[in-house]
Formats: sequence, C-alpha cells, structure tokens
Amino acid sequence: MTKEERLKKRHRAEKRFRFYGLTSIFVALLFVVILVQNIFSKGSSAFKKTVITTEVFFDQELLEIQNGASQEEIMEADFYDIMIENLIKAYPAKDRDEEDELLKLFSGDSEIEIKKAFLNDNNLIGKTITLDLTASDDIDQLHKGNYPRDLPEERRRISDFQLVIYDYFVENKKISKNFNNYFFNNGDSRDPELAGIGGALVGSFYSILICLLLAFPVAVLASIYLEEFAPKNKITDFIEININNLAAVPSIVYGLLALQILLATIQLPRSTPLVAGITLALMTLPRIIIPCRASLKAVPPSIREGALAVGASKFQSVFHHVVPLALPGTLSGTIIGLAQALGETAPLILIGMVAFVVDIPSSPVDPSSSLPVQVYLWSESAERGFVEKTSATIMMLLSFLIVMNFIAVYLRQKFEKRWN
Amino acid sequence: MNNIKIKSKNLNVYYGNKQALFDVNLDLNEKEVTALIGPSGCGKSTFIRCINRMNDVIDICKVTGNIEMDGMNINDKDLDVVSLRERVGMVFQKPNPFPKSIYDNISYGPKIHGKGETKSELDQIVENSLKKSALWEEVKDRLDEPGTSLSGGQQQRLCIARAISVNPEVILMDEPCSALDPIATAKIEELIDELKKTYTIVIVTHSMAQAVRVSQKTGFFHLGKLIEVGKTEKIFKNPDNKMTQDYITGRFG
Repeated sequence: MTKEERLKKRHRAEKRFRFYGLTSIFVALLFVVILVQNIFSKGSSAFKKTVITTEVFFDQELLEIQNGASQEEIMEADFYDIMIENLIKAYPAKDRDEEDELLKLFSGDSEIEIKKAFLNDNNLIGKTITLDLTASDDIDQLHKGNYPRDLPEERRRISDFQLVIYDYFVENKKISKNFNNYFFNNGDSRDPELAGIGGALVGSFYSILICLLLAFPVAVLASIYLEEFAPKNKITDFIEININNLAAVPSIVYGLLALQILLATIQLPRSTPLVAGITLALMTLPRIIIPCRASLKAVPPSIREGALAVGASKFQSVFHHVVPLALPGTLSGTIIGLAQALGETAPLILIGMVAFVVDIPSSPVDPSSSLPVQVYLWSESAERGFVEKTSATIMMLLSFLIVMNFIAVYLRQKFEKRWN
Repeated sequence: MNNIKIKSKNLNVYYGNKQALFDVNLDLNEKEVTALIGPSGCGKSTFIRCINRMNDVIDICKVTGNIEMDGMNINDKDLDVVSLRERVGMVFQKPNPFPKSIYDNISYGPKIHGKGETKSELDQIVENSLKKSALWEEVKDRLDEPGTSLSGGQQQRLCIARAISVNPEVILMDEPCSALDPIATAKIEELIDELKKTYTIVIVTHSMAQAVRVSQKTGFFHLGKLIEVGKTEKIFKNPDNKMTQDYITGRFG
C-alpha cells in the first residue's frame, strides 16, 4: 500500500466515524422529538378545562341560610336544590329525562362551585350571578375535539340530545375553555374533570425533602471520611465495592426492604411521604456518595499538601480547602440523585403510595401520592380525560427534572474553580 | 560557622518494603542555605519531607532514626505536627496556591495559628510576607484577585510568602524553580539570598548552577545514601568522592 493510499484510508475511516456519530445523534434526537411531541399533543389540553357559563339565582326559599351567614353556616348549608333549580334552566328541557341528561353535562362539583361563590360573597340571596361551572368529562373531551361526534349514538358516551344541548351552548357562547386550576389544586378523583396533581405534588415535595435531609448529610460525611480520613485497607475496599454495588441495586428491592422494615417492623404509617422519603434516601445514598467521592478525589493533592505545610491540621485542610473545592461537584451529584429519586416509582408502589388518596397531604405522615405514581395510576384508567392528565403529569415531572438538571449543571459551571 | 539548626542521625526511611533513605547523617546550619543535589529518586525530597513530617501523609511510609531541631526530636510520635509545621515551612516543586484570593492565601496560615487577631494585624502580616517574598509591588493593588491568576513565577513567590507568613524558622524548598522560566528563577534565587538572613533554608535542586549560586553547604545524595556533604565551594571544586565528581561534571544522573 502506498503512502497516499494509506492516507486516503485514514481519511475515509475518519469520515465514516463522523457519519456514524452524526447518525446516532440524529436518531437519538428523533426519539426525543417523538416522545416530547407525543406527550405534548396528548397532554397540553389538560391545562385547560371546559366551563359552562350559567346564571345562578340564589332563591331564599331553597336555602336555609340568610344573607350575611357565617363561614360555618354556609359550609353546612345544602346547596343541592339551588344547583338543580339553576342548572335545569341552562337549557329549555321538556321533561324529567331531558333534565337529567342536561344535568349530566355538569361536573359533580357544581354544588360546591356554587357554594364557593356564596362563600366569597355572602350577600347573594335574591341576586343572580353568572358562574363558569366546570363541565363533565364527556363535554370537556367533546369540546376539546377528542371525541368524534359522527359515531352512531350507541357507541358514544354522549346522547344525541346532549349533543343538541352542547350545540345550543356553543351557539349561545355559553361554553368556553378556562385555565384548569383543578389540575394543580385538586387531589386525585374518580371524575377526570375534577382530578388533579395537587396531592401528588405535595407528596413528591415532602418525599424529596425528607430524602434530601436524610441522604445528603450522611452521604457527604461518609464520602469525606472514606476519601480523606479512612485508612486504605481491606475493610474500606470492601465498603467501597459495596457502595458501588448498592448504587446498582434495582430500586424495587429498596421498596421490599422498606415494606419489611419500615412498615412491618417499625410500623410507620403506610402510603406516607415519610416512608417514601426514607426509602428514597436509602436508594439515593450510594448515588450521592459516588459523585461526592469523585469530586473529592479530583481536588489535587497539592492543595492538601499546601494546607498541611503551613500547619493546618488534617481536619482543617479537609474542611477549609478540599471540601469547598469539591462542593460544586457534590451538589450537582446530589441534585441528579434527587432527580432520579423524584422519578422513582417502583419502591413507592410497594410501600402503598398507589392508594387512592383524594385529600392533599398536610404533613409528611398523611397518606399521599407522588408524581410518578400518579402517572402510573392514571395511565391505567380508561377515561379519555385521564389520558390527557397522564401526559400532563409527565410534562410536569419532566419539567421538574429538567429544572433540577439545569441547576446541577449551572452550579458545577458557576462554582467550579480552576487550579494549576 | 553558624550553629547547627537541624541534625539527623542514622535516619532511615521506608516506603513499604522499599528503603528510600539509608543512615543519613546530615547537619543543617542556622541562617544558611543548604542545597541537596543528586539524580532523581535519590531521596533528597524524602529527606526534607522528614524535617516537617510531610511523610506522615503517606500511609506506608516509616521513618526510623533521629532528626532533631534545636535539640527537639522531630521524629517523636507525640510531637504535635501542627506546631512543627508552624516552625518549618515548605515550598513545593509546582506552585500550589489555594484557589482563593492572594490575601486569603497568605492570611490563612496566621489565622489558623491565631496570629493576627485583628484585621489590621493580618493586613500587616500579609504586607510584610509579600514584601519579604518581593511580590508586594506587583500585587498590592489586586490582593482580592485569585492567587491562581498570577504567572508561574509569581505563584511560586506567593507560595514562599505563604510559607513565611507564619514566621517559621526553617523553610524547605523542594525544587522550587523546576516549573519556572529563567527570569522567574533568577528572582526566586535573589529572594532566597535575602531570606537566608532570617531563615534556615534547605533547597532541593537539579541545577548544579543553582546550588552553586544560592547555597553555602551542599549535600550529594545517591540511591538513598548521603554520599558527601560539605561547603558548596569545596563540593563543586574539589569533591572527595569520585561519584560526586562524576555527577557534578555530568557523567551520570
């Protein structure tokens, strides 16, 4: 082979390699785009809800309370009759059956929504106000264009008569889409139009907070001790190997461990962020120790020697010089570990976070859900409304993960110091 | 002849099973520069790291024999290395300023030893140390800039200033100029000349010329043994030992 041929071959090899590299990046990006596009197209409609603009007249005869009633009196009062009387006026229905079909177009929370309006202004008796009442899931999906209306009636969830009412609403501009506050403020619900991730958000927040509080100090101190103070012998080698092994243990195993020890033996309350946080902390611990030790190791020995040579003690050289230099790497490792914990589902299913929890937890020992478990729960529901909520929850989860990873990268780049 | 500041007697150092120093007997005179020369791996650095017990950092390192400073046994297990290193400063081969400001680099030592209680005392120490290391004029207006932003030679002078900030009695220099260009080297050598009025200095060097220029006494190490020690003039003009002769004339090493 001549020199020229060899040179050509080398160039060809390089071009081939570049081509392979570009192809893999392109394929990877394509999959990301497909995933994101899929989630967005399904989920973005969940951030809006369909409301029916309804006139509500507060008839004194149908209410047992007076103007100026106290909060407690209003909370206890029955607004059912008021609701029925006003909702059936939304469309001129002819008989009882038609009225029933009309009522089904509103969500199950109409009574509460009317009551809330009265709570805001307790002088409404005898007056008429206009309220945007949440529509039922069927109308919601129809209005968002997710239900085909040209199917035969028996294959639709909405009757022909309800379609007539819907068209009447559209014609009279009584139906519109509002920001879906329920999605963020409500807990889980059997009715898709009322279900929200409020409970899951709070549950995830508490879980991650507990995970951080437990895992971070333990992991950082363990790393500092192992890296800087522990003698290098067989015992520390054994510990190091096992930390690496623990980081690779499937997360469901931690769930089993928590089930046996935290729930069965110690009897901590089931389905709570407390247990979830402890379980996630166990899982995250080795995943923080590894990057923490790596960043301690990356601090050049000359810094330690420099500190020791001016008479700093071992402790001073570590905590005045090595740890501050290793901190950016440690923090970004911690955040990435927490991001993994935030997306973890399997161990949480085992400790009972799949329970159907309607209330938003007010403390870490209340039963709760979490974001990834909520995704899992809703993805199994048949209603079209839960499909969009599943995707919307994934969008929320992904955006949290992106924000956390961004913070990790930012911390590393901002505070990482260069040394010679 | 100056007083003897540091005296080593039958000093042996082992790294695991490997012996790095063999029965070294070497006296270092007060307020004088002693140069240690010899081929790489001959134990010069190991020897000076015995003087401030830096070998403690290495787990497998074992030191036997005696090494005394003003009659105090440095090798004593119960000796507090922190106060020893306050008295014996060190400058390393590669400049290793802390990735902090110039000011913090120098004030760190005095702070941890409780010298310079007030800000103005610390300011004074920083100024004096920088003046003694001939860096003051170059950096006095940018004390809050990171020490790592200085040039290599300035960084090394910063490290010298850091070493003298705790007011030691002895300064150990482990090839302080090997990473520097000739101009920076000349500045450091000038500085060493000035510093020997106050401090006892031990310098490890690979440059024969440097040893001749800065030192009054020279020791030649080979394979862990101290082959010959004497007045610098004598070692370089008329050594007793054939090996020394071969080394300084460049026949091996």
